[in-house]
Amino acid sequence: MQKMSYKEKFVQMNKEAKATWIVAAIIIAFWWITGFGIYGATGATTTILGMPAWFMVSCFGSWFLSIGLVWFLITKVFVNFDLEDEAPMTDVSSKEHKEVM
Amino acid sequence: MNGFLILVPVFIFFIILIGLGFYIQKTSADARGENYSKDYFIGGRSLGGFVLAMTLVATYSSVSSFLSGPGVAWQKGFGWVYYASTQVVAAFLVLGVLGKKMAVIGRKTDSVTVVDVIRQRYQSNLLANISAVVIIVFFTTTMLGQFIGGAQIFSAVTGLSYVHGLIFFAFVVVLYTTVGGFNAVAITDTACAIVMLIGMFCLGYAIISKGGGIENIMATITEASNTAVATGEGFNMLSPTAEKAGVASIPVQLFITQWMLCGVCTIGLPQSNVRCLSYKDTNSVHKAMLYGTIVVGAMMVGMHMLGVLSRGVLLQIETGASTDTVVPALISQYMHPFLAGLTIIGPLAATMSTISSLLIAGSSAIVKDIYMHSKEEKGEAIDQKKVGKISISVTAIMGIVAVLLAVNPPDIIVWINMFAFGGLQTAFFWTMLLGLFWKKANATGAIWGMVGGLAAYCITMALKIKIGTFHNILIGVGCAFILFIIGSYVGKPVDDKVGKLFFPEKY
Repeated sequence: MQKMSYKEKFVQMNKEAKATWIVAAIIIAFWWITGFGIYGATGATTTILGMPAWFMVSCFGSWFLSIGLVWFLITKVFVNFDLEDEAPMTDVSSKEHKEVM
Repeated sequence: MNGFLILVPVFIFFIILIGLGFYIQKTSADARGENYSKDYFIGGRSLGGFVLAMTLVATYSSVSSFLSGPGVAWQKGFGWVYYASTQVVAAFLVLGVLGKKMAVIGRKTDSVTVVDVIRQRYQSNLLANISAVVIIVFFTTTMLGQFIGGAQIFSAVTGLSYVHGLIFFAFVVVLYTTVGGFNAVAITDTACAIVMLIGMFCLGYAIISKGGGIENIMATITEASNTAVATGEGFNMLSPTAEKAGVASIPVQLFITQWMLCGVCTIGLPQSNVRCLSYKDTNSVHKAMLYGTIVVGAMMVGMHMLGVLSRGVLLQIETGASTDTVVPALISQYMHPFLAGLTIIGPLAATMSTISSLLIAGSSAIVKDIYMHSKEEKGEAIDQKKVGKISISVTAIMGIVAVLLAVNPPDIIVWINMFAFGGLQTAFFWTMLLGLFWKKANATGAIWGMVGGLAAYCITMALKIKIGTFHNILIGVGCAFILFIIGSYVGKPVDDKVGKLFFPEKY
């Protein structure tokens, strides 16, 4: 749990929202490229577990990719902070800190 | 006897749901005495990650995910699964983009509903009232559609009449929602999501074992598909665009708009947004993003794939019958009655979990956004006991009205229901997204966008005006965006008080 001021929370939340959009864009791109790409290249002749490869990779692949990327988001990008309490001092102290430096 | 065996698991499940409703009413008595609307409408901001994920997904997945969708997949093949799989982003996107801001601002402003947040952000009672009305109209009609769908499945499988089925299961959902409030909705949604998954696995097992394994099923499907392509009388089940007689039945344009309607724009749905106000802490929302993505993918890809595979078991349906009959036919013809009872809970649960959430959110629009707000405006004191009585009455009446209408559904409501999903997105997508991320967004822009976008969407839907084969969500959301931006530059900018609250990083 990080102590953050109201302002710092918003800076962080904007960053998280941006990262979420990027993840969504990657999934959408993956979905289009694998679905139409594999079908365009091999039709329905290649199969995975008996079902068409384009379907397996685009549908299950996008799902697994989503799970993986969301895992990345919540462990690497998203930060835990208190939704209610703010740390009003951190802003000031960081400024002072900079001035000292 | 078979009918009786089917009803046993359903009965047990219904009793559990009602029990949960009353149990939660009892345990939350103290919290309700203090602040009734906060507890009744958002559960006192107490949801953990697992329940948050389940209630979000269960609310989102409706009767169409379990009935109409797999039915069409049975007919069109894997292309339809591909089409439905755009929904994998629906759980994490809303939580990741809007989730935390809604939670932080909701706490800061003591907001209980989405309309509360809109009122705080745009400082406009007109916009707030339009929002509340849009929510009430579209939620009621959607609920009605769900009641009709649920009652149809129920009667198809159990052999009870439509009206008996409707009254039986509608009574259960209205009762537990009314007494238990939001917490009961969230907990029962979780139970519903779990039985939806169980139902799906039972159905999957039945289909694969009856069909003699995936290989046999795929051989049957390939043969059916090849015949369909050769004669031009059916769909190419193995292609993403499901061609019929050489013409794509799911053209690329439709895939693009599907990404809006059932992907990106779902972050505007108020029934999803209100869940962002209801969770406990940041850890909960992080976990919910992961769990939600796992479950929504399993349900959407899984159920629609089962729809396709069921073609290997059920080669034809009665001529003229709707593809909606595929899933009930599978359950009633190919499953042991007890397992059938367990499986039928799945689509019923999908229906009930959607209804309960719409009912509680619709009721909050009347009680909190209209009644309590007018009290506050007049500076009158709010009596928590009175709010309690009104909340319970409004929820019950709204539910009962929807049930009565569903007995003999008026055409106009069935018709409005067709616009509800896209209409809600058109009205709220930019209002929420730009409201929370663009400081220049103001009331003028939001009102123009909401009213203009909705008008454009509903009129083009009603008159069947289309741009190519794109879904009209493109017109709705597109018009709303343009009007929103123009209005925001024309209207007055937000004052510093709102600015500092919603955009502290700009100061």
